Amino acid sequence: MIELSELQDAAQKAFPADKLIPDRNESWKLVAEMGWLMIDLPEDLGGLGLGRDATAAIHVELGRVLGTAPLIPALIALQGIAASTALANRQDWIDRICGGEYIPLNMLPGTVARGTDGTLSGRISGVFEADMASHVLVGMAGLYCLIPLDAAGVSVTERPIWDLSRRLFDIQLDGFVLPASLIVGEGDEAMRLHDLISPQAQLAIAADSLGGANAALDMSVEYLKMRKQFDRPLAMFQALKHRCADLKARIVTAEALFWARARNQTASITDLGATKALANEVYQFVTEEAIQLHGGIGLTEEHQCHLFMKRAMLNLQLCGNSDHWQAAAGKQAFAALT
Amino acid sequence: MTETAELDALRNEVRAFLREHAPAGWREASATQEDFVATQRSWFGKLVKAGYAIPHWPKEWPGGGRSLAEQKVIYEELAAADCPRLLLSFVSTYHAFATLHECASDEQKARYLPRILEGETWCQGFSEPNAGSDLAAIKTKAERKGDVYVINGQKVWSTMAQYADKCLLLVRTSSDGPKQAGMTYLLMDMKSPGVTVRPIHQIQGDEEFAEMFLDNVEIPVSERVGEEGQGWAVAQATLSSERGLTLMELSYRMRGALSRVAGLIRHNGHEADAGIMRDFGKLVTQVDAVCAIADQFLNNRMAGIERIGDASIVKNAYSRALRAYSLIGLRLGGMDEQYVAPITFGDLNTGNWMADFMNSFAWTIAGGSEEVQRNIIAERMLEMPREPKGWVL
Repeated sequence: MIELSELQDAAQKAFPADKLIPDRNESWKLVAEMGWLMIDLPEDLGGLGLGRDATAAIHVELGRVLGTAPLIPALIALQGIAASTALANRQDWIDRICGGEYIPLNMLPGTVARGTDGTLSGRISGVFEADMASHVLVGMAGLYCLIPLDAAGVSVTERPIWDLSRRLFDIQLDGFVLPASLIVGEGDEAMRLHDLISPQAQLAIAADSLGGANAALDMSVEYLKMRKQFDRPLAMFQALKHRCADLKARIVTAEALFWARARNQTASITDLGATKALANEVYQFVTEEAIQLHGGIGLTEEHQCHLFMKRAMLNLQLCGNSDHWQAAAGKQAFAALT
Repeated sequence: MTETAELDALRNEVRAFLREHAPAGWREASATQEDFVATQRSWFGKLVKAGYAIPHWPKEWPGGGRSLAEQKVIYEELAAADCPRLLLSFVSTYHAFATLHECASDEQKARYLPRILEGETWCQGFSEPNAGSDLAAIKTKAERKGDVYVINGQKVWSTMAQYADKCLLLVRTSSDGPKQAGMTYLLMDMKSPGVTVRPIHQIQGDEEFAEMFLDNVEIPVSERVGEEGQGWAVAQATLSSERGLTLMELSYRMRGALSRVAGLIRHNGHEADAGIMRDFGKLVTQVDAVCAIADQFLNNRMAGIERIGDASIVKNAYSRALRAYSLIGLRLGGMDEQYVAPITFGDLNTGNWMADFMNSFAWTIAGGSEEVQRNIIAERMLEMPREPKGWVL
């Protein structure tokens, strides 16, 4: 059994903290080589069968360095494919993905609908790094399927985002003819797949946010220790120390909830979504404060501070926003308590 | 039996006891502070007899020798059964016990520890009007005259000192050298001539704390813990006596008391109000996170991997959530909460939202203020430099 700390050490060696936004293509190669694509895949399907806290640990480390390899959408898609009972040649697909072929799940809601002739039309949003993808796994009402990005009726458009550590694409379908061989799940099966992979998505994004929040706080504290004004390091001023202490306390508290729920198999999707909302809001607040604590230099493109803020802001939008998950958590608790 | 099976067995045993003996209606029976003290005494007596009052004491004491994991089980069950917390005997069983156990002479231990189980209560005489966060600045003076120390000074924020039999008293025996080096630790009888206790009327209308005036109070030298000048070190034993269980217990109690907020939402017919449900969900998640950090803290302590500052984070997280909890109640309760309603003693989540709100400040101020905790987190965890000393007018 691989210990979590061994995974963390390996990830920190592969992606050292002082190298933010590492080259994407090299990162992807490294991610595949390290075996992280098969990390939570069951052993009988050729994976390592480690728990979801193992993937979470990796996502934390990649969040820390503003990782560019799209491991999150790839792993979630793989999870869906691995759980599929409908997909033809499933093991083939799994082997291809574990070998490094990139097939992501879209991370934002889309508008794809099935026409009366059975073709698919509409927009798939939130596809990360689609330029290196062969297919995208897309979910809609009653259907999960794979879309080949080079097929007729499929067009891929990059939409520039503020977050400089990732690239995001829209995929337009115009009467795409879906072969039966690419159906991953239909009807109730689609629902089952959704319930299976949605929790993973929530945890993965929360992990990314907590990793990033830690790095942004570390960066700010280091800066305050180094920067001198009024003949002393800024880190000596209590007004600033207290703000850093609050950030630390918020991060550590959110982490405690995160790990408790990552390890608790009975945590509901709503529990995990609410955990993600908390982690994302902590990330947002830490990066907001990081810019303020850096002062003027924090406003420059040259300094790396802004990169965390931009990633934090994008994370807030992925796989259901905070409003959605907090309201769901409120309803869930209300039902349980009254 | 495996450890898990043993813990489960203990849990069932505690549950069975509580099913029969949990003091239902203790809130109603605590309408005045005097009634509250009476219910506290009787509940403490029952728990001593059952063997659940002092699980953290050594095993030669009945009900003692419990591991931290076992203590956690006991406190979880007490919280789940909504039993009153042991507030009156808290200083006795934690602070006085730890001080006596770790630093006192065998003769002192033999004299005082059994009496705690018989219901003798202790208070703490540490803080002074000019020594709050800066405890080493205490001025209460002790002068040695033959076999006694003669004490003059004033103590403040002593929890329930008006009901205490004995006091853990920190005094100054020397003004030379570093402030910490001139401190001495004494055990004071509250009935000694010259001791005047005045309860402090707090903003929510109760008198949980008191101040003490000490006017030529004589304390025998035999009542000193440690040597003269070692008071600061002994005080550290007192202050570090609580092992993190209180915050865990309080967090679980707040989790359970979220039903009060849910009740208000239902009462107001706010179920379909997305904004309110969202704020409620945010609070629920915040409280869940506090439970998780309190749990993690205890687990780390059990595993021996606690770090300096961990306790500060738990305290700040809890006190912040407690404030948020009371504020959402105030908001949903609306104008109703501005009319005075009876307060419940001994509970932090009572549903009297103004009282709960005011009570929540005790957690950001007492026991090391939020600001002191922030300094600890910043200086000890984030390794940010201390402010330079030596400020002069």
